[in-house]
Parts: sequence; C-alpha cells; structure tokens
Amino acid sequence: MELVTLVLLEGVTKQVLLPDDSRLDILRGVDLDVAAGDHVSIVGRSGSGKSTLLNILGMLDAPSTGSVSFRGEPVGRMGPAKLDRLRGRNVGFVFQQFNLLSGRSALENVAMPLSYASGRAYWTRNRVAAEMLERVGLSHRIESPPEQLSGGEQQRVAIARALVRRPTLILADEPTGALDVETGAAVMTLLDEIASEADAALVTITHDVHVAARARRHYRLEGGILSPVQLELAFRETALGSVSATPAGMAGTDDSGAPDTDADT
Amino acid sequence: MSGFIGALTDAWSELRHHKLRVLLSLIGIAVSVAALSAVVALGEYQRQIQAEQSDRFGGRLATVAVSASPTDGAPMDWIAFDQRVDRVSERFAFSHRTRVVDGLSAQVQTPQQVQQVPVRLIDPAHPVIHRSPLLEGRWFRDGDEELLAAPVVITESMWDVFGRPVVGTFTITLQGELQGTYPVIGVTPRQYVGDEEKLVTMLFDGYAAQVDSFPPDAYVLWEMWVPEDRVAEIGPILAMDLRAGLEGVDLSVSRTDWGSRPDAQSAALVFELVTGAIAGLVLLLGGLGLVNIQLVAMRQRIREIGVRRSFGATGGRIFTSVLLESVVATAVAGIVGIMLAIAIMRAPFVLQMFQGLQDVPPFPLRAAVIGLVAAVAIGALAGFIPAVVAVRAKVIDALRF
Repeated sequence: MELVTLVLLEGVTKQVLLPDDSRLDILRGVDLDVAAGDHVSIVGRSGSGKSTLLNILGMLDAPSTGSVSFRGEPVGRMGPAKLDRLRGRNVGFVFQQFNLLSGRSALENVAMPLSYASGRAYWTRNRVAAEMLERVGLSHRIESPPEQLSGGEQQRVAIARALVRRPTLILADEPTGALDVETGAAVMTLLDEIASEADAALVTITHDVHVAARARRHYRLEGGILSPVQLELAFRETALGSVSATPAGMAGTDDSGAPDTDADT
Repeated sequence: MSGFIGALTDAWSELRHHKLRVLLSLIGIAVSVAALSAVVALGEYQRQIQAEQSDRFGGRLATVAVSASPTDGAPMDWIAFDQRVDRVSERFAFSHRTRVVDGLSAQVQTPQQVQQVPVRLIDPAHPVIHRSPLLEGRWFRDGDEELLAAPVVITESMWDVFGRPVVGTFTITLQGELQGTYPVIGVTPRQYVGDEEKLVTMLFDGYAAQVDSFPPDAYVLWEMWVPEDRVAEIGPILAMDLRAGLEGVDLSVSRTDWGSRPDAQSAALVFELVTGAIAGLVLLLGGLGLVNIQLVAMRQRIREIGVRRSFGATGGRIFTSVLLESVVATAVAGIVGIMLAIAIMRAPFVLQMFQGLQDVPPFPLRAAVIGLVAAVAIGALAGFIPAVVAVRAKVIDALRF
C-alpha cells in the first residue's frame, strides 16, 4: 500500500485525576496509524475511551504520555493557535448529537468552519457551503435552522459542515447514534461517498458493527487498549454469537463477551 | 484581515441571533449615552449663549481694543490719533476694524417734542465684531458713507416713540450740528425687558463728512478683530508701534472678548463635568447589566463555543468575537443614543430655553465623539470578562455536556 501516514499515535496513554485523588487510566498505550484516504472503524463499549481517543486524534485533547504526529509533525510541540488552525484546515468532526448551532440556518452552520479560513475560502464561504448542502441533498433546506430539520437531515448538515473545508481527516463519533437504523444507513452511505470523493481519511467510532463494517480496517477499544479485529468475527459475535454462543477462538479479542448493539452514552 | 472581519461578522450574527436579550440590555446604554451627549451639547449651547452675550459688549474672540487719553487733561486730538492708528494698523491687515465714538448727542425731532438723544459712531465692522442683532432692516455696509443722506440705526425704544413705522421709508430729523434728515435703515432690539435706551447709531465717516471736530466729552475707541491664535503676539507689537514717538498721551491696548476671561469658561466646564459624571455613572450601571447578561448567556453558549473551536476557531478569534459582540452592541446603542440626543437638542422646548441664541450651534461633534467613545469603552469593559470565560472553556468539556 502506498498510503501516506496522516496521523500517527505512538504509545498514547491518557489518565485523569478523579475527585477522590485516584487516577483513572482511560487509554493505555495506543498505537494507531491513519493514512490519507484510509477508512478506519473503532468499536468499543461506552466508557472504553472511544471519545477520548477521538479527541486525541482530532487534536482537541493531548495525551498524558506518548506522541501524536500529524503528517510527521509532532502535535505536542505546536502552539495552541497553530494547532487550532491545523485542526480547522485538516479535520472535520461529525458528532453523535450533531452539535449544530441552534437558531442559525443550515447555510450558516455549514459556512461556519469556512469563516475560520482566510483569503478566498473565507470570502466565498456562502457559495461553497450552498454547494456542499446541495451535495448532501439539502439544497431545499438551506434557510432552515436545525430545529426545523429531522435527525437525518441534521446529521447531513453536520456532514456537510465537516466536509466543507475539504479536510484530510474526518472524525465521526457515533454518527448514527441518534438515528434510526434506515436513516443511519443512509447517512453512513453518504458519509462514505463524500469522504472517498474528497479522498479524506475517515475514522468512525461506533458501537454498531454494521456501521463498523463499512470501514476498511477495524479496531476494538477495550479497557484502554486498542487492538485490530477481524470483521467476520465481530459479525459472528453480534449476529450469531448471541444465538449460538459459539466461541470463535480466532483472535484474542473475542472473549470480552456481550454484544453491545444497544445505544449507550 | 479576514480574521478580524470574520470576528466582526461573527459578533454581528450573534447579536442578531440574540436580538431581544441584547436589545433589553442596551436600552440603559443608549439612554445614558444620550444623556452624556446631551449634557456635552447643552454645555456647548450654554457656552455659546454666554459667548454671544459677552460678544455684544466685549466683541468676539479675539477683540483688541485701543483707547487713549491725554496725560495732561488737555483735549485729545482724536482725528490725529485716528490717523496714527490707521497707519500702524496697515501692516497688520486686520480683516475687521472699527472706531467707536461715544459721548456725542443730538437733538431729535420726535412726534411729541425735540429730544436730546445720545449718538454713537461706528464703522461697518462693528456689528460683525459685536454680533449686534437687528430687529428690523439692515446694518451699515461699505459705501453707505457715500450716500448723500447718511443712514442711521436706532434702538427699538426709540422706534416706539415714532410709532414703529416701516423701516426703509422712514427718516428722522436731527437738529443742531448734525442738522438734517437721516433715513433709518435698521432697528436694534431691546437688550432686556424694559430697556428704554434711545440711541442713534451712525457711521463714523457719515458724521465726519458733516462735522469737522468732536466735542470735548467725546471718547473714541478702536477695536480690531484678530485671529485668536495670533492675538498674544499681535497685541504687544500693536501697542509698541502705537506708542512709538507718542507724547502726552496715555495709551491702552487690551483684549475685551470673553476669551480673555477664563472664569466663564471654567464655570461651563464645571457644569459639564458634574452632569457628565452623573451620566457616566448611569453608563457604568448599564455596562454592569450587560456584563451580567453576557456572562449568563456565555454559560449557555459553552457548547457552541466548543463546536466552533473544534472547527478551527482559535482562542484569539473566540475572544475577539465575544468582545466585539459587546462592543458592536454598545456602539449601536451609542449611535442610537447620540441620535436621541440630537433629537432632544433640536426639540422646540430645548431651543426655547436658549431663546436669543443667534447662531444655534450645530450638534457639537465633540459631544457625538464623547458619546460614542464612552459607549465603545463600556462595551469593551463589559465584553472583557465574558470573553475571558469563553476562552477559558475547555473544548472537550464544552462538547461533552
């Protein structure tokens, strides 16, 4: 594979201090390599540190130890403003709760990331945003605020917003978590399409194996440890495992047990 | 560049989004800015009215008066001294210069009787220097001295004696040295209620054409209108030139305008400072209300700020946007306040308070600038704390709740 490394996580750990002065390890030595155009899924139960990992990937959070580098450049040594600009230029987020700006129209929401760009991108932001909304099939809802949109439409606006600056990395945190199955599938199809059109790397965090199945590479996050999984195994776990309880015994990651297809948070 | 414009655009769209909240918090600011600007403007009106009143007596800014009296009590040769003043003045090229002769009188034939009235002689520049208002008709102008019948201007009280005939078609008849008929071209209003002064004003040259010398109790004064910034330098030179080779005459050169009397100015300043301080306090209270509202609003907006940060908004950008939100809001309130102040100052009841104001001064730019600066300053002050809170918010925590 001639994929170029985009984000590289090496020995990343994250601890937080709890109110009772004990330390909680959220991530324990995570190594991950996301290449340009890659499509990675990370499956894990709630509380397994998925969101923390995503925040570190998106350079919103810094690891306790270990290093994060973006295009070979260590992120830890960048100043906050540079980091913010780097994130704005290269990373697009899709959140479970959409996180659209309330009261602002779909167009304003999609144009928002471009307002942090400079030069041409800044001045043409409304036109570019309108094109993006058209791409996600919402050209008729340009003026609607999120309150007037359905869940699926809101997530499509969020996808348009994540992609409007043509990021190289899209981070989706439970993108279908608040949607029903069919809408979720449609939204994921759209996200996949747009991401591959833009040749952006897509990292999807989910507890839903069907969503995870769309990715090229699959990981499981368990107790702060990230390990690769075989997809068929994961499928068996959810589809058959609950029925037949057949131990697969292929990889060392299967004994964790309970299928977690229920919504968490 | 696009960063700042972007922050400004953000601020504006935030304001539009929270219209009602912003509107309510800004009423206080607008009112206090209006009060502040109105106070400054009132002070300016007050000063103008004082200046105009003072100008009637002492001349406008800056009037230099030259007076002379013989040291030995002998009669003064006014004509010779006038020529001396003329000669010396030439090098200064004064734009407005007038002689004022008091102490003359004439017999006037009124409908009832022949009456002794004082006569004053002036040059056409005199009403300009003194802003002397007219009730009717016009003042003297250059060329009037060449008319066969020298025109005169009389006081309102004297006009009443004649039964207020139409100015322009009406003449008065003098007896004695000044015997003749004089057309009345203008009437000066009463200076105060019950002003019964009867005075005939005529041109110096009109008088001189008829009479060669002044009576012993005549008294002549010369007045020059000098640029304010040069008066300090011109005064001493003028005095020195006039005194050169002069003997037996006591000469005095002095400023008579209100600018030479700082007490009037300081009174206006005190008025402005006291009322301005009160308006300032009101403004500060309005600002505190704004801080309060913005801080509460910030709590609700933490998540939104987190979203913006995750899409590349730098801390500086968030800070500027939130700060500008208050600044833009108070600047708009300030403009509204200034317009309110202008409307108040143009209201009939205010103008009535300043009756007799000859030149109603335009709404002073200074008042508008002070009002706007105060509004922007209070906005920056009120926006600072919420802006710090907005920047301090951690992105991840903001996105979590």
